[in-house]
Parts: sequence; C-alpha cells; structure tokens
Amino acid sequence: MPDRQADIYINMKENLKQPKPYMNPYLAGIVLGFVLLASFYLTGRGLGASGATRSVVIGAVTSVTPEHAENSGYFSKYLGDNQMKTWLVLEIAGVIIGGFLSGAWAGRLKIRVEHSPGISKRKRIYMATLGGLLFGFGSQLGRGCTSGAALTGMSVMSLAGFVTMMAIFGTAFALAYFFRKNWI
Amino acid sequence: MNTRVILSIILISFGSIAAILPKQKTSSVQLNADELLREIRLETNLVSTDELADLLINLDPGIMLIDVRDSIEYSKYHLPGAINIPLKQLLDEKWMPYIDQISKKNIFYSNGTTLSSEAWILTRQLGYQNNYVLYGGLNRWFETIIKPSHPGSMATSVEIEWFNKRKAASMYFTGSSNATDLSSAPALPPVPRKKKKRVAGGCS
Amino acid sequence: MGPLVPLQNISNELNLLIAFVIGLGFGIALEQAGFSSSRKLAGMFYGYDTTVLKVFFTAAITAMLGLIFLNFVGLIDLDIVYVNEYYVYSAIIGGIIMGAGFIIGGFCPGTSFTAAAIGKIDAMWFILGSMIGIFIFGETFVFWKDLYMSGYKGAIKISDVLGIRDGYFALLLILVATLMFWVAEMAEKKFKREDITKEI
Repeated sequence: MPDRQADIYINMKENLKQPKPYMNPYLAGIVLGFVLLASFYLTGRGLGASGATRSVVIGAVTSVTPEHAENSGYFSKYLGDNQMKTWLVLEIAGVIIGGFLSGAWAGRLKIRVEHSPGISKRKRIYMATLGGLLFGFGSQLGRGCTSGAALTGMSVMSLAGFVTMMAIFGTAFALAYFFRKNWI
Repeated sequence: MNTRVILSIILISFGSIAAILPKQKTSSVQLNADELLREIRLETNLVSTDELADLLINLDPGIMLIDVRDSIEYSKYHLPGAINIPLKQLLDEKWMPYIDQISKKNIFYSNGTTLSSEAWILTRQLGYQNNYVLYGGLNRWFETIIKPSHPGSMATSVEIEWFNKRKAASMYFTGSSNATDLSSAPALPPVPRKKKKRVAGGCS
Repeated sequence: MGPLVPLQNISNELNLLIAFVIGLGFGIALEQAGFSSSRKLAGMFYGYDTTVLKVFFTAAITAMLGLIFLNFVGLIDLDIVYVNEYYVYSAIIGGIIMGAGFIIGGFCPGTSFTAAAIGKIDAMWFILGSMIGIFIFGETFVFWKDLYMSGYKGAIKISDVLGIRDGYFALLLILVATLMFWVAEMAEKKFKREDITKEI
C-alpha cells in the first residue's frame, strides 16, 4: 500500500510539472473572435499590435531628438494623436499581462530560447531579430500587421485585410522550404 | 463527432442565418425624411474647415473636393484639387462615377452652405454614400483658415493653440511664408463636435 | 447603439481601461491558443500543427458573424466601424515582407508580446527587431512614400467588390474555412511530428 501511495505522489508531482495542455484551437478562435467583437462594439476598431511598437519607437526617437521626429515625414504623422497611441500601448500592456497570467496559470512560465535542435540558440536569436526587423518594416508599409490588418481587416470584410492576409501566408508558405532547418 | 465537425455545423448554420437576414439598415438605399432630418440634426454630414485643412495638408488621397458653384466663380477661386460640378449639372450622367461611389469622401462646398447642402440632400436621397458638406463653406474657410483672427488676450491656451495651428495652415494654403515647414507640423486635432465619422484604425 | 466610445460620451480614462481589458483578453486568447510558441506557429507552414489557421479563421468568422448580427438587431452602426483602407501595392508588398518575417522570425507582433511575457528570449529579440524595422521604415520613408501612397482604392469591402451581400460573403467564407479545417486536420495526420508537438 505505501508503495502505491508513493507512486501516486510521484505521478502527482509529475503532473504538476507538466504544463497544462493548450486550449482547443477552435475554442481559442471563438474566444479571440469575441474579444475582437467586443473591441468593435466598444471602440469601433479591432485589435492592433504593431501600432503600439511604433508608438514606442516614436517615443524613443522623440525623447532622443525631438526635432528629428518632427522633421521625419513618417513619424511626424503620428506625433499628434496622443489618444490613439496611448490606447494601443495600453492594449499591448494588457496583452503582455494577459499572456503572463495565462502562462502562469498553465505552468508555462520559463525563461528560455525556443529553437529547433537543428540550429543553435545564437542562430535562433539572429533569425528572430531579422524576422522581427522584416515584420516591423512590412507592417508599416502594409498599414498593420497580422492583428490590425489581416485579422481585423478580414472580420470587417475589408479587401485590404484579405489581400494582406494572403500575401503574408502565401509568402510564408512559399519560403517555408528554405527555412525548414529552423523549425523541424 | 470531433470538435471540427461540431464547429463546422454551428458555423454553417449561423452563416446561413446571416445570409438570409435582410440587408442591414446602415447601407439601405433610400432614406425617409425622418432619417434625413436626423442625419442633418446630428451634423454627421459636415466636415469642418479645420478638418479639411488637415486633410489637404496631409495630401489625403481619400477625399474629393467638389465645388458646386457655377464655373465662373470656380475659375476665380477654388480650393486646391477641387473639381467643378455646378449644382444644376450634379445629376448628369457624366458625374455619376464621382458622386455615386464608395471609395472616396466627397466634400461639397459653395460660398455659404446653401448650394452644397442642396447637393448633399439630392445625393443622399438617392442613397449615395460618402458625400459631405464643408461646414460654413468658403466664407468660413476664409475666416478660419486663410485669415484666422486672433482670439484676443483673454483667450485660453487651447484657443491660442488653435489659432497657431490655423495660422500655420493659412501659410500653407496662401504660400505667404515658409510653407514647407508645415508638412512637419503636428496634425490638427479633430474638432470637438460630435459627428459620425469612422474611427481611426487598428495598426495604422 | 455601438460602437460605444465614438458614439456615447465615454471618458478618456474609461476608454483606456477598455483598451487594457481588451488587451488582457487578447493576450489570454493568444497564449491559450499556443501562439506563445514560435515552433507551434511555424508548424502551420510544415503541416505538423495548423493551430494558426484554425484560430485565425475561427476568430475572424466569429467576429464577422457577430458584427452582422449586432448590426441586424441595431446594436452597432457599421458605418462607423473602421474598415481598413486598401492601397494595392503597399498592402501586397508589405504583406510579402511580413510573410518573410513570419517564416524567418516565427512570430508576428501580437504573438511576440505574449511569448515574451512567458519568458521566451527569442520573442524579446523579435520585438527589438521589429522596433528596428519600424525605425528603418520611418527613416527611409522618402524612398517608400510613392509606393506607400499608390494604388489607393478606399475603404472597400470584399462583398462590395464581388457585388454580394455581407451575409452571403460570410457564408461563403465559412464554407471555405470549414473545407480548410478539414484539409488542415488531414495534413496534421500526414505531417505528424510527435517529437516537436510534444515539446511545444
């Protein structure tokens, strides 16, 4: 009997260490859809992410050289509307805290570099930075990222949303073969 | 049955309901008198001179200025980029692509607002969307943008700020002094009048 | 009638609180879906994990149907809801660049925030990279300005382009999506990678 109890105890401990499984993707999609719908109902616009990053960049540029930010043809466009900027930044603050709470609840908090065995940590970080650079650049040219342009755009049936979505996923599929080492 | 099948059935049922629902009201073709009056009362069809100045300075490709005065007045003075469609010819076949469209925001203007409001009512009753009226017309354009008057020494800082922005806009449109500086001036805040206007978007 | 913030008098503080709460929901949904793992996200393009497709389309369709129904019962004025403006060339080229960023970096801006929140160092570098990318775009805007502004088509909806009602288009998209979900689940069986899916 004691042995069995010990076994159960060990099993329980193992279970505690093991992160909770992810939510069913369709269910997660419905949850996300309702969050998006709430955003439409409350504010008239959908979700955004890259806009917040831009606010941070503009904030940084402005604090270093205010004149430069004002003279920049692109950044100066966004110097005026403070409310929109704060809105997106607060939304993203929510995303970070929400992600943290969800990760903590599911037991997924862990400082690490996630990479495929095929590449080193260092290479993964280089690739992540390069990918981020491209994504940041593209999101400005394309007027929004996967959240703001593709997901939000699709749900309001905007043609721009569909075109951007197809361009993003089409390109990623087309290039997948060349970067397979990074992932599998 | 797995989740996918259940979800597919639910989505297709809801989608079928969505498909048989009558066309939603906000894109209805005809407005009755009450609805028309409501839109006029709510001033949802108005664009202020400050907003217009802002749109023009930013070279917003989404607007089309339509001068509804006659061609003589148009040739004397018209706003930058405006096209001339005299009110009498407004419903001519050749102008239809301009006034019955969904991509651009048409802004009608005249000296005051009489002609432009008529143009708006005509088009709105036909169910055309995206048509607006310049509030106060060219008269107000001159008062507020081209020759803005100083709010006086008792003015609040907000009023002074407004004046400075209008002054800057004036320079831009009259080209009287360093107009190039203006392209970097901060955008004019929207007029604090409540009106029907699409909100600014997600990431952009 | 909604949207509440632009139509009713909502104070700025409340508006910002709404932003934060919506963000919380957004973050929780992304993290629970597994979007805090780049290898799970990338699985989409190799077939071993198609969560991205499922979540993305289910979410878009849910919100789309929600908007149609809310509008039908008169709770939301769709004329005010933001519709993304379509600039042909910048949308396509921007999308292509983002697609390359996606397959190389493994995140998109939204998911990188949730991933960084649970301690993924690669996501933090991705965020830094995206800041650099935005900075470069802003600094070199002169070169892209013409491309950025060209091909303006207005805030057009795909249902208007196809000349069909919003409801019909929603149903059409749902049929396409259910078909894609079916294909995706077959692909997951075919390109199964237990070694990866167990780890993530």
